Amino acid sequence: MKLALIAGCVAGRRACRLLSEALHRCGSTVTLIGPAPDEAAAEPDWLPLPLPQLAASELLDHVDAVGVFLDGESLRQFRQIHGQAAALRGRSPRPLFSGPFRPLYGDELAADLLPRLGVDLLCLQGEAQLAELNWLVQGTPQAQQACEAIGLWCLPTAPIGHSISQEPLLVVLDQPEIPPSPFANGVLYERLCAVARASPHWQVRLQCDQPLPPDPQQWPQTSLGWHHLQSSRPPANLQLGDHADPLPGLIQAGVCMGIGSDWLLPPMVWGKPTVVLGDYGIRTAFNGPLFFGSGVMRRLMDCLPLDALLNSSRPDPTWLAWRGWSIADGPQRLLRRLEALIG
Amino acid sequence: MTLKLLLVADSDSQLLACQALADAVRALGGAVTVNAIPKPGTPAGVLGALERSGPLWAMSTTRLLADPRLEGFDAIGVYLTGSKLAEFRSTYRLSRQRQRQPLRPLFCGFNGVVLERFEEAIAWRLGYDLICLNGPRDQARLDLLLRHTPFQAQRSVITGLARNRPAPASSKARERILVFAEQVVMPAAPHERRRLVQMLARLSRRSPDWQVLIKPRVAAHETTFHAVDTHISATLREALGSPPANLQLSYEPLPQLLQRSRLLATVSSTALFDALDFGCRPVVVADFGLRQDLGTPFFAASGLLRSLDASEDLDALEQGSDADPAWLHWVGYHPEFSAANLLRALTDLAGGVHDSAPLQLSHPGYVVNAADLSTNQLRRGAEAAIRCRDYDEAARLLEIAQLHRPDNRNIGRRLAAVRQRNRLLRRLALLVTPGLRA
Repeated sequence: MKLALIAGCVAGRRACRLLSEALHRCGSTVTLIGPAPDEAAAEPDWLPLPLPQLAASELLDHVDAVGVFLDGESLRQFRQIHGQAAALRGRSPRPLFSGPFRPLYGDELAADLLPRLGVDLLCLQGEAQLAELNWLVQGTPQAQQACEAIGLWCLPTAPIGHSISQEPLLVVLDQPEIPPSPFANGVLYERLCAVARASPHWQVRLQCDQPLPPDPQQWPQTSLGWHHLQSSRPPANLQLGDHADPLPGLIQAGVCMGIGSDWLLPPMVWGKPTVVLGDYGIRTAFNGPLFFGSGVMRRLMDCLPLDALLNSSRPDPTWLAWRGWSIADGPQRLLRRLEALIG
Repeated sequence: MTLKLLLVADSDSQLLACQALADAVRALGGAVTVNAIPKPGTPAGVLGALERSGPLWAMSTTRLLADPRLEGFDAIGVYLTGSKLAEFRSTYRLSRQRQRQPLRPLFCGFNGVVLERFEEAIAWRLGYDLICLNGPRDQARLDLLLRHTPFQAQRSVITGLARNRPAPASSKARERILVFAEQVVMPAAPHERRRLVQMLARLSRRSPDWQVLIKPRVAAHETTFHAVDTHISATLREALGSPPANLQLSYEPLPQLLQRSRLLATVSSTALFDALDFGCRPVVVADFGLRQDLGTPFFAASGLLRSLDASEDLDALEQGSDADPAWLHWVGYHPEFSAANLLRALTDLAGGVHDSAPLQLSHPGYVVNAADLSTNQLRRGAEAAIRCRDYDEAARLLEIAQLHRPDNRNIGRRLAAVRQRNRLLRRLALLVTPGLRA
């Protein structure tokens, strides 16, 4: 099957790349298309077409289906132009599939799904998202929305080898906008310094969960990394991770920690001890509802000594299964549904 | 058995919810006292209506918990915002234990439809003996949230969305009035609020034999849960200059308006269910689309979505389908969901039908907001630890409080004091730094 996957933002592009690799292993040909968020982030294997031109492009006539993993407004625009362009050419629009490319739950999921309703196939992750979609559309004209749960496709959850570092390493996921005030981030940074000082035989790494500009001067003041650079005497065992990619750090980690980052899910799936910081409680803005049932929430002060985390802090497998972890044949499910669509 | 209930609330929406619940319980033979915690800006009309319908107290939480009359109630319903809900539950239990008094069941609920942050709201309500839910929709969401967690035993009861006794069929013809139930933040953007009043003005001009009444959520000098800069009266002036003569603001109580009007329009207000109670035809404004920030997806299956812009006039707007019965049942507007369910559940609790042990909120790997996570609870806990000279525990609690409120200097100073290792310096520092005032 020949497919095109379209994405715009960083998370969408990463998710599409993972999906394209999985589909490729199933024998499909996948073309990745979409403008890079900025020129510096351009990647050679992406066709960098601007969205309006892409939506109207005859290029899409040569694929069997198009996966559109854009955010709300861009998605609306794409669907409108694509439909109108196809009508002008006297052709049917290509079958479109779409879905949330982050592990969303609750309000965020509903907001993400609304502009996607009406596509030919909605790709969800697990049972929890299926239930929420059902509540959203029941009784509406979209009640028969075609959907398929294809697992945690948007994050790197494939098994990894044993590549953890020699020294015990705690990777703390730094979400550049959470907590949302520089002062609150400063307080959290000081607490992490205290954890590092109390654990001299551990390495503590602050790992940004999304790419930051190469120039640290441009990092947001609401990131832990910014506070680290301002610190006159940071603990010797507290360091910064790769500013562009969280994956290598997470693979090396002995223990992972964060407030509500999507990137907490891969280490959970890999079986690494993971801590969701519960100090801020269950807040929608901090992604608390997603991790409420994970079984690995604890307060920062209860994480000491860090050695104790090595043999605990594994998520509840049923919770993880409901997020989509139990679906091992997601790409095959997607291809079967697309084949049925194309007829 | 006549159940005696105490309802506790502070802001206007919660007091309105208490008013509705009190009326329903009284109609079923129960006795209800409402305690309105004094709060500046609470609309006098809301307090007046409560006073006219039954006993109304006005005590602070501290005074209320010390009042010996508390013993006379069979259960207490608490209608406060999240952190205050958790704090009330915690301080009520502590005060009963201190006074060696038995615990009465505590229940809580929601003051209308829950359009967003349902899970966060539940995380504050866990631990109450009963959580009142609006309908099967909320029950399904609660079940999904608590599935596979140690909190599955949390009791809940569906009490529905009907807030008024059904209006008796009147032979009097309803007036050609459209009531628009304004909400202070739906929509929130000034340009969308201007567009809203412009759409209403257009319909007014096209329907000269109708009257369009905008019912403001609160008067300009009053406050509600959401703080806003621009009152709807200012938006009206700003967007229209001089509005058509048949478009006006009305501060008449909503029930009275709904009993004589033909139509109610809203973006996403619970007033839609009041309209159904009073036999007024409701429509949901569809012009802003189905947007999570507007709460409109809740109404997607209602069968009541109409575009004001696309309507020829108000006669055309009135010609539409009724609310979908399946949707009404799903969201909780159905005779099988009422305050009678709450009274039955409370009677069962009192009769020992269920295990009445409070839900345990502390479990390794789980954090719930209700488990002593409000900043004041944390500070109070820290002060208790200081009194017991457990300075490590005090520091631990203050550190969490500081993460919540990093800008609160008193928390920072108190934390520095308890961290002081020298005993004498610590005593001095504790003397000069402010603890939490009771």
